[in-house]
Amino acid sequence: MRKETKEYNYDWMLWSIIDNAAKTCDGSRKEYESLLGLIPHLRDLLHTIISQGEPGILLLKLLAGYLKKILTAHDEGKKIAMTTFCFAPPILYAFDVVPLLLEPITGLGTFILRRGTAEYLDYCCEVGFTETSCSSQRGSLGAYLAGLATRPDLIVCDSPGICDTNANSYAFASAYLGIPFYQLNHPPSLTDERSRRYHTEDFRNMIAFIEEQTGNKLDQDRLREVIEEIKIQDKLICELTDLQQLIPSPMPSIYNLFLYSGVFLFNGTKGFTRLLRSMLKKVRTNAEKGIAGTRSTGERARGFFSYIDHYTTDLRFWQWLDANDISHLGCILSSFWQEGAAYAVDREDATYRMSTDSMESMIDSLAAQMSRMPMVKSIRGPYDAPNMWLDDTLNMARLFKADFVSYFGTIGCRNTWGMVKSYARDLERHGIPTLILYSDSFDDRVQSWEAVTDKMSEFIHLRGIGKRL
Amino acid sequence: MIAEIRDIAYSVNNRYVETWKNGGNKVVGFPCTFVPEEILHAAGILPFRLRGVGTKTLSIGDTYYGPVICSFPKCILQLAGQGDYSFLDGTIITNGCDSMRRLDECWRKAGEDIEGILPGFFYYFGVPHKVTDYSIRWFVDEIRELLSALEGHFETEITEQALKQSIEIYNTGRKLLRKLDGIRASDDVVINGEDAMAIIIASSSMPREDFNTLLEATLSEVKKSGAGMAGKKRLMIVGSANDDLDFIRLIEDSGAVVVADTMCFGSKSYVDLVDETTDPVDALARRYLSHSYCPRMFGYYKERLDYIRKKAAAARIDGIILQNIRFCDLHGSENGIFERDLEAEGIPCMRMEREYGPLVETGRIKMRVDAFMERIS
Repeated sequence: MRKETKEYNYDWMLWSIIDNAAKTCDGSRKEYESLLGLIPHLRDLLHTIISQGEPGILLLKLLAGYLKKILTAHDEGKKIAMTTFCFAPPILYAFDVVPLLLEPITGLGTFILRRGTAEYLDYCCEVGFTETSCSSQRGSLGAYLAGLATRPDLIVCDSPGICDTNANSYAFASAYLGIPFYQLNHPPSLTDERSRRYHTEDFRNMIAFIEEQTGNKLDQDRLREVIEEIKIQDKLICELTDLQQLIPSPMPSIYNLFLYSGVFLFNGTKGFTRLLRSMLKKVRTNAEKGIAGTRSTGERARGFFSYIDHYTTDLRFWQWLDANDISHLGCILSSFWQEGAAYAVDREDATYRMSTDSMESMIDSLAAQMSRMPMVKSIRGPYDAPNMWLDDTLNMARLFKADFVSYFGTIGCRNTWGMVKSYARDLERHGIPTLILYSDSFDDRVQSWEAVTDKMSEFIHLRGIGKRL
Repeated sequence: MIAEIRDIAYSVNNRYVETWKNGGNKVVGFPCTFVPEEILHAAGILPFRLRGVGTKTLSIGDTYYGPVICSFPKCILQLAGQGDYSFLDGTIITNGCDSMRRLDECWRKAGEDIEGILPGFFYYFGVPHKVTDYSIRWFVDEIRELLSALEGHFETEITEQALKQSIEIYNTGRKLLRKLDGIRASDDVVINGEDAMAIIIASSSMPREDFNTLLEATLSEVKKSGAGMAGKKRLMIVGSANDDLDFIRLIEDSGAVVVADTMCFGSKSYVDLVDETTDPVDALARRYLSHSYCPRMFGYYKERLDYIRKKAAAARIDGIILQNIRFCDLHGSENGIFERDLEAEGIPCMRMEREYGPLVETGRIKMRVDAFMERIS
């Protein structure tokens, strides 16, 4: 790692940049536009977010606040839990523990930093982590291994049985840094009584672990407060999902990123409710006008990105979608399986329902939510089993009337690279044009963004997709 | 006798399997040590550990698997697709790791395209990734479901008595293998690592009663041979699945002798005995889930490090080769921390990433082993 990279802590750098970015709209429009000329490396990213209006500004402020909480947690006597994107954070908020999610923190680095997170990715390998591990964790994990970020107090993850590479990153961090570790383990099935019992017992065991690590008992009132907020958020998310079914889709593609980032980082907090309401206001307005969420207000094609998105520099993926009038209908990261979700019709046993009736029911609700988190729900068993990846993709592609399905992953996605060829073949057999992209969503060195766009453009052209405008 | 054992280890099929099949008996394959072999044995079925030995191409493996996947299950799929596993009447796939669990789908999908390669009994066996009271309960249920499925498909009954008897036979085999470990760890080593590994591989490739008899005779033969290898550097192999005898021979050709290992085609498969005094299914669940020596059991690094330490001390090793198959992040990453911690204790280590299958990297591996030997000499 170069000397200048070690000059500042990674998390402090991100906070400093985002905190300033979040303030850019506090002044006048003229001030904002003048500022863009002074920040050539951040301009495109900032403008992509700010141009979304209030939701973009709210998201930046939430992110700045989130990073600040990590930086100040220890001064305030709070514990920090390193965890993963598919770990529902409400239980941590109920304990007043600050969640530190590696993948979003990596994503912020790849979005913002001029050279992405290459040096942190590589630092992991220098200390023994494999270069074939998932870049979504490695991109920020390198900073934590190098001591260039606030040290977490505990590590919790819920990916064993779902994504070994993910789970391995957290197990490695725990062993390397000597930090207490708890893993929620998910069985290969979802809806049967045996699996439900396993989920709840494992979840309760985790609560005991967090109580031990924090020295605090789970507070019933605080837990209820968090769950009441989730109930509100679930309804708002369901409405967004409903509106996405319209042709054209009134939801700007980047809102999908806002949505899942919000759930991963802020689920159960009031800030996220504000963000969702703001997003919904815009989407409702677009729907009333009958226009698409794209900048041009037109929709040429509808894409379902069945796994993850592409996160390298400057939010270029969403800019590309916008420039090509392609509506992003969601990905595995934006399906949460709350009761009432449009995609859960006739699949109610696959959903979770929030209850505040008692302490027991609240804990069970959160356990059910955790077991239905993105990836956790549908990548646990054989991909062609009921309620698993193929079933869900077909369901959503039909529901959202997708013109095509596309797969992005990282070099570490053993759980999906293992069968993605058969998965794509099955989708094609169902009449859905499907594209596998052999890039790494967090590391342009594997395949350049230009190569990715070439492939996507070629696919759309050759398959005759996108004649709607 | 060693020659006969080598024959078994160097190929997928062997004369014991042929004789077994000719007798009208069934064979069920499994790719991972988390499948309790005793259950199959008690059903009168030959449990057979799946391997990729002898793979010459990955044309079929690469058709169904994606590009960044461990070559071990790819090689198994390749052999299955070629018909090399046509003697199997069944297969049990586990979620040993993500690459391994996808063998379930890849094999099934290949079976849609290539006639006759999918065994009649094809079963997914879910193994928890942690050891707790509730995960053991889950595993007990999983074993009971497997029992029922086997009974239903093969029209057989697996009695408690048969299970207890099978446990006893397998424990006998494990005790014999532990004797082998003792011989390997002695000062004047009388068996090289290649042959020792051949014996261990044979244990899951032939009827266990025959294996126990053969091993007892082999141990007597080996003890009497007196062909000592004193003076050679004593190495231990740690890491990913490895049943490649050529790989071990390559290491030993550099002037070393492999005296210990912690691999699943090695000591990991016999380190613990099954409790013979309790309910057999419960005892099997506890034994198979609790030997957390595979990094698929997340959060047990200290236990695994401790196991390596003990093994290394018992065999008085001069160095450790920490190897992993490319894309095996679980072993590869853990090897990184093992290296840090073991080197800090004065145990020389060498990390090596390699491909499973045809040993196409002989030159590179030899050069690295030679360099390591220079370091520890």
